Amino acid sequence: MKVSIALGGIALAASLATTAQADKLDDIIASGTLRCAVVLDFPPMGSRDASNNPIGFDVDYCSDLAAALGVKPEVVETTFPERIPALMSGSVDVAVASTSDTLERAKTVGFSIPYYAFENAVVASEKSGITDADGMKGKVVGATAGTYEAIWLEEQVKSWGAGEFRPYQNQADVFLALSQGQLDATVSTMEVAQANVKTGNFPGIQIVDKAPMVPDYVALITLREEYGLINFMDLFVNQQVRTGRYAELYKKWVGEGEPASLTIPGVYR
Amino acid sequence: MFNYSFRWNQAFASLPQMLEGAWVTIQIALLSMAIGITIAILLTVFRRSGNKLLSGVASTWVEVARNTPALFQIYMVHFGLGGFGIHLSPYLSLLIGIAFNNAGYLAENFRGALKAIPETQTRAARSLGMSQGQAFTNVVMPQMLRISFLPITNQMVWAILMTSLGAVVAMNTDLFGVTKALTDRTFRTFEYFAIAAVIFYVITKVITVSARLLAARLFRY
Repeated sequence: MKVSIALGGIALAASLATTAQADKLDDIIASGTLRCAVVLDFPPMGSRDASNNPIGFDVDYCSDLAAALGVKPEVVETTFPERIPALMSGSVDVAVASTSDTLERAKTVGFSIPYYAFENAVVASEKSGITDADGMKGKVVGATAGTYEAIWLEEQVKSWGAGEFRPYQNQADVFLALSQGQLDATVSTMEVAQANVKTGNFPGIQIVDKAPMVPDYVALITLREEYGLINFMDLFVNQQVRTGRYAELYKKWVGEGEPASLTIPGVYR
Repeated sequence: MFNYSFRWNQAFASLPQMLEGAWVTIQIALLSMAIGITIAILLTVFRRSGNKLLSGVASTWVEVARNTPALFQIYMVHFGLGGFGIHLSPYLSLLIGIAFNNAGYLAENFRGALKAIPETQTRAARSLGMSQGQAFTNVVMPQMLRISFLPITNQMVWAILMTSLGAVVAMNTDLFGVTKALTDRTFRTFEYFAIAAVIFYVITKVITVSARLLAARLFRY
């Protein structure tokens, strides 16, 4: 009886899901508000200031996108794993949440062109004696569950055939485990690694190397079938770079220096 | 508006991995129950011993285990002990955390069961020449375990469900850990979680139904 009700509920949800086909781009403009999922424990992309207001690169990027659409921005805080349920349940319109554009995920959600690219760093505990990326081989390594670098690192551990991979739930736990010596090393974005080493909250850790991986290109996401909105977001990202706003935001949140190139030589898109 | 197209094939293809995870979940639950029951019996003996120190230890254990979230207990086993240089693997952290919780709850179950056993039985056993210890292990304890058999199976169900908290200590080989890793990779959250929920449901249902049948067979008067 209970099982049949549950199955009926799932079937009902599935049938509702296939009938809804309004264009999100029109809906957003009509509603006057753009609701963005942003991850706020991921400085400098998203965090909160002293008076608890959301700040960061992604927050500003959401505001810019809303301005381009002529609507008000509304930041909805999510964790990395909650981005997709938030999108699917319709509680947000887009996610401006440093989402890595993997092919596997593109089977489920719709990606814009990349709007940012991260370099990843190998951060090791001083006790581990790891001095470069190769030194991680066979050690206990970990990263924040659900991130691009976590997926990469887990693959590495599988290919070594030795060592252990541990996916912690958030950035703070990863660095706590590293600082306690429970982890020998982690891979995280250069921005996050530098920020965490600098705070001094986690003694005994140091950045030892760049991670030998393809840069982590991140994109805006929305529902897979919303081509109108995806097209708008593609052009928007292009305009952000063209007008110099991308470099301006980089300088504001990340620091001096050139922001990463968002184009791949030798290929379209 | 719930806007989502269900695609099950990818999720069903991962079923063998998830079932392996389910096996780890069952292992942890069984081990944590074995440890939990043993400790709970000890705690019960401690509380009856009349020794202030021992009964203090037992009461503190029960109070902490029952009045703080299991999530906190598991987190503290991993990161709390980690702060003192005691590094436990995610598997052990989860196992110890759940066993700690089990022991606290079961000790209270045993206390309730003891209330149902008349004091006169102990006295009768003593008058037959049994020592205090013999009277407890031969007369009182078997009845205590019988009376609390169904509460024990409840705790077993709870232990199965508690394994999903292992995610906070980076556990990734149990049912929930495997499911989470798959959703992180594919973003097919609803499909994987629905399948995991069904597996959890089946495991716990099998436990409760078989416990009830077992009880009906074992405890006929």
